[in-house]
Amino acid sequence: MDVLNNLDFATAFRALLPDLLGGLWISVEATVAGFILAVVIGVLIALGRLSKSKLLNGILVVFLEIVRGTPLLVQLVYMYYVVPLLIMLVVQFWQPSFQFTFSPFLAGMLGLGINYGCYLSEVVRSAILSIDKGQTEAALALGYTNRQSMWSIVMPQAIRNSVPVFGNYLVMMIKDTSLLAFITVSELLLRTQTYASQTFLTIESYTILALAYLVISLPLAQIMRLLEKRLLKHG
Amino acid sequence: MVNAMIEVKQLHKSFGSNEILKGIDFEVKKGEKIVIIGPSGSGKSTLLRCLNYLERPTSGSVKVEGQYFVEPQNKFSEKHVASLRTEIGMVFQRFNLFPTMTALENVIAAQVKIRKRSKEEARKTAEHYLNKVGLAERMDHYPSQLSGGQQQRVAIARALAMEPKVMLFDEATSALDPELVGEVLKVIRELADEGMTMVLVTHEMKFAEEVGDRIIFMDNGFIVEEGHPKEFFRNPKNERTKAFISQVEHPENMVAH
Repeated sequence: MDVLNNLDFATAFRALLPDLLGGLWISVEATVAGFILAVVIGVLIALGRLSKSKLLNGILVVFLEIVRGTPLLVQLVYMYYVVPLLIMLVVQFWQPSFQFTFSPFLAGMLGLGINYGCYLSEVVRSAILSIDKGQTEAALALGYTNRQSMWSIVMPQAIRNSVPVFGNYLVMMIKDTSLLAFITVSELLLRTQTYASQTFLTIESYTILALAYLVISLPLAQIMRLLEKRLLKHG
Repeated sequence: MVNAMIEVKQLHKSFGSNEILKGIDFEVKKGEKIVIIGPSGSGKSTLLRCLNYLERPTSGSVKVEGQYFVEPQNKFSEKHVASLRTEIGMVFQRFNLFPTMTALENVIAAQVKIRKRSKEEARKTAEHYLNKVGLAERMDHYPSQLSGGQQQRVAIARALAMEPKVMLFDEATSALDPELVGEVLKVIRELADEGMTMVLVTHEMKFAEEVGDRIIFMDNGFIVEEGHPKEFFRNPKNERTKAFISQVEHPENMVAH
């Protein structure tokens, strides 16, 4: 059992710590930015799907099916390598000298935001539908327009009721930032891979990596539970 | 000088092929208290909800203080309908308070958002009306922390804080436990005594008789009979009215047929 005897967690930990902290910071940034984008997209898609326009509804349903029917990893790769090319091709009709790329981080944030936005839209949509119609009626009777009643009465309640589910998605997203390694975002996984391949401390490196994810996701899940309790105290 | 606060002409309302209101004409004068009664399914709640356009009539017109909700020949304008609704307070069977707001915030919200009052002024007005409905002590409670009767009184304060010219009550006490009905009726009665113009849909016949200036009896989408309360309850003319009154007063005599 030479392998076990030769394990050197201390060295691996000491060497990886700065990398891990740096990578962690990037993961957190990507998650915060990606999740804010996802909520915005989720709310907008939900409202679009609840609108009376059949055309808008149809377009959104097709879009949702595409996003939900393809893997997140493929979407991230597509966003990083293909989307900038498409944008370039289109703009070059007017400006032949136009060049365009996404930074890995930006592509990752957009990919995560759009993917999660599609899933969140279903959460928001059903939360809106579950708000008692009496709430809208009360607002309308007080002189709110439909739009005002949606934004200041119905939506806040729907979002509040969605927080527990949002929390689950948030924890999932922080774990999914590991996929950003494939589009060269220098987050936890990529940094650990680099270190492991240089030193052959494979077991140590990846075990530490896994623990690093646990260190963020477990407290985060706990925080979400507390938040949920607080929010659901009334109503 | 506009005499009629609300003017309803040839109002029809259908849901799909089901015609609920089959041509309603009536007027509510300033300061008048109208009570609409009738069996369930007679269209009385639908009629009330047409008075502030929560239900959009299939045809016919509704005017409030001389203003149409939708001018004949004109298109439906949401803004105009919304602004006209601020003149009409409505109280619902199920209260419909906003659960994420305290009682005080419930009463403040629309004043600031719709009436464009300052927070300070809205707060003063809210406190005044919550005090009026006897809930000064409970202003900072959430709806879930209040009894049904208290919630309904907050809902009344919320409507009153907009300082409407008419109040509509849609079976305001039907969802309440019997012991809580009294406190809500008391508030409504005080409001009536102050001269508020009101239209009420209710099952409380005794209350209808005491508060109403005029009783309207509806059945099957029509106004079947209307009259002064005393006259109406003691001496109903129409057969269906008679049957309804005796059914309400002596439910034990009614046998399914």
